[in-house]
Amino acid sequence: MTVISSSDRLYRAIQGRRNRGLGGLYLVVAAFVVLYAILFPGILSMGGFAKFTQNWFPLALVAMAQALMMLTGGISLAIGPLVSLGAVIAATTMGGSLGVVGGVAAVALTGLAIGAVTGVIVAHLRLPAIIVTLAGSFIVTGVALILLPRPGGFIPDWLSDALAGHTPTAFLLLGLILLMWKAFLATPLGLGIYAAGDNPVGAFRSGIPVERTKVVAFAVSGLLACLAGLFVAAQTGSGDPIIGTPFTLNSIAAAVLGGVGFLGGKGTMRGAICGSLLLSVMINVMFFLGFPPVAQYVAQGLIIVSAVAVPELIHAWRAKR
Amino acid sequence: MNIVRSIFRNPPLLTLTLVVAVWVIASLTLRGFGNYGHLRYLLELASVIGIAAAGQTLVVLMGGIDLSVGAIITVTAILLPLISPAWDPTGLVGIALALVIATCIGLFNGAGAAFLRVPPIIMTLAMATFLQGLLVIVAGGSAVTVSNPAVILLGQSRPFGIPAGILLWAVVSIFVLVLIHRMPIGARFLAIGANPLAARLSGVSLTRNTLLLYSLSGLFAGIAGVLVLGMNRQGYVGIGDPYLLTSIAAVVLGGTSILGGRGTYAGTIPGAILLVTTTALITVVNASPGWRSIMFGGLILSLLLISGRETRR
Repeated sequence: MTVISSSDRLYRAIQGRRNRGLGGLYLVVAAFVVLYAILFPGILSMGGFAKFTQNWFPLALVAMAQALMMLTGGISLAIGPLVSLGAVIAATTMGGSLGVVGGVAAVALTGLAIGAVTGVIVAHLRLPAIIVTLAGSFIVTGVALILLPRPGGFIPDWLSDALAGHTPTAFLLLGLILLMWKAFLATPLGLGIYAAGDNPVGAFRSGIPVERTKVVAFAVSGLLACLAGLFVAAQTGSGDPIIGTPFTLNSIAAAVLGGVGFLGGKGTMRGAICGSLLLSVMINVMFFLGFPPVAQYVAQGLIIVSAVAVPELIHAWRAKR
Repeated sequence: MNIVRSIFRNPPLLTLTLVVAVWVIASLTLRGFGNYGHLRYLLELASVIGIAAAGQTLVVLMGGIDLSVGAIITVTAILLPLISPAWDPTGLVGIALALVIATCIGLFNGAGAAFLRVPPIIMTLAMATFLQGLLVIVAGGSAVTVSNPAVILLGQSRPFGIPAGILLWAVVSIFVLVLIHRMPIGARFLAIGANPLAARLSGVSLTRNTLLLYSLSGLFAGIAGVLVLGMNRQGYVGIGDPYLLTSIAAVVLGGTSILGGRGTYAGTIPGAILLVTTTALITVVNASPGWRSIMFGGLILSLLLISGRETRR
């Protein structure tokens, strides 16, 4: 009985610490969403909500993929190319003999396989993740270019309608994925991701298979990125070998906005999702207000820096008093 | 046997051995590869990567990373023709102005890392994004042709038959090597990279060294930008992009630990040459862009497996 209550208290304390920085983020996100709804009331209709969540959904997926990598103490520079590869595989397989089910399976298996291979290289051969994913981004881009040198391919209309039509399927899928993440975190393997990222030596001594945990995290990250590509392909109705390029930077930005730390084991998935929502709202607002795309880059650079700097400065200011 | 083992234990030497091996094998099997002119051309291409990687080596040694190298090269290459004053016949004022701008961008990176406590990877990434947007607004997205005589001289002249770029690289190399290994400031950089807390407690100022370091990185990226502009005669948006990844790859191939505190610029030099040689060999094979990309990534990865591994925990 005492054991349960003490572990319960420990769990609360850890969750509380993880949530501490997020309160401000939730407020900012809520404020931005309300502002967005006032500026563009169309979002409150069924179709408007569906379109909004469809723009957000791939960003949320890559933010989760990147957050997962950062929780293990690494970072991925191959998220964008993986999104492209997912889109290309979806667009080239679904018209063929494999059909839609085979196409989705092919995309998922590719993501898992590439992620797992990257994970094996990082965890077992001990190369830094940033360099491996850098080299990997060239390889993945190359494969996408060979499969589909020019934008094209085929996605069945009914699939595009189902995923990116006037129903908020994307939002429901996101909820489903979050539930699955929660279930995954409840398993020893999921918990091990935090432990292995926060303190690899300690985790190893506590009997956590650190290498295997990392490989699983990389594989799931690859899967999420490729699924984001599948969705993008359904959205545009075709495949494009370079469509994912902006996602590398945006995934890092969303995860950082969501308070996920670089050193491993710091941050939460709900934070990363909120970060992606914030980024998505800001991109939409700038687009609708008629900002040129280049001004978005300038604003994005400023936003990322201030997202990290402001909490740090507040913290330093409090410590000084 | 002893020699082999000591080579494997010394990453710069290992990378140099790889370069020599690749050059010898390629010269024997490919016609024209071993020509003096071709090897000189490879070195000329490597000099840009090498100079950009000089700043990157310093930053990585101190435990950071600079993802704005490519953007700073682009900024220098585009702004230099625009800000070179017409009254100056030598063109040196334009170069000086451009280098000051590049150094200031680096200083901003350092200020963000030191005062705002933004992790360097985020600070420099955000800076790169910011500059990318700013450039298109300033330059309008079109290419600018250079007429600055000093820049053209740098890119085209060959004193004693050696391209000026290679000479510039040699000067930069000597400067950086002396800075790291023979000057107190180099020792401070290495100390901060190995253990920031211990360095700070020993009286090393984190703030001052961070500012200085990122300014230097900006300056070297600026020099690389001037050289690229001289060799291309044209500046355009995206001209610096290839140099970001190659500068990091050259540092890591040279055996410098990405975690900081351990390494030398002496490894980055053969690392840069190895990268350029690899790219040249891939071009010889005459494959589609997709296959070329795969081969480049695969070769970097396999080279890393040989020379870039972190020690076991």
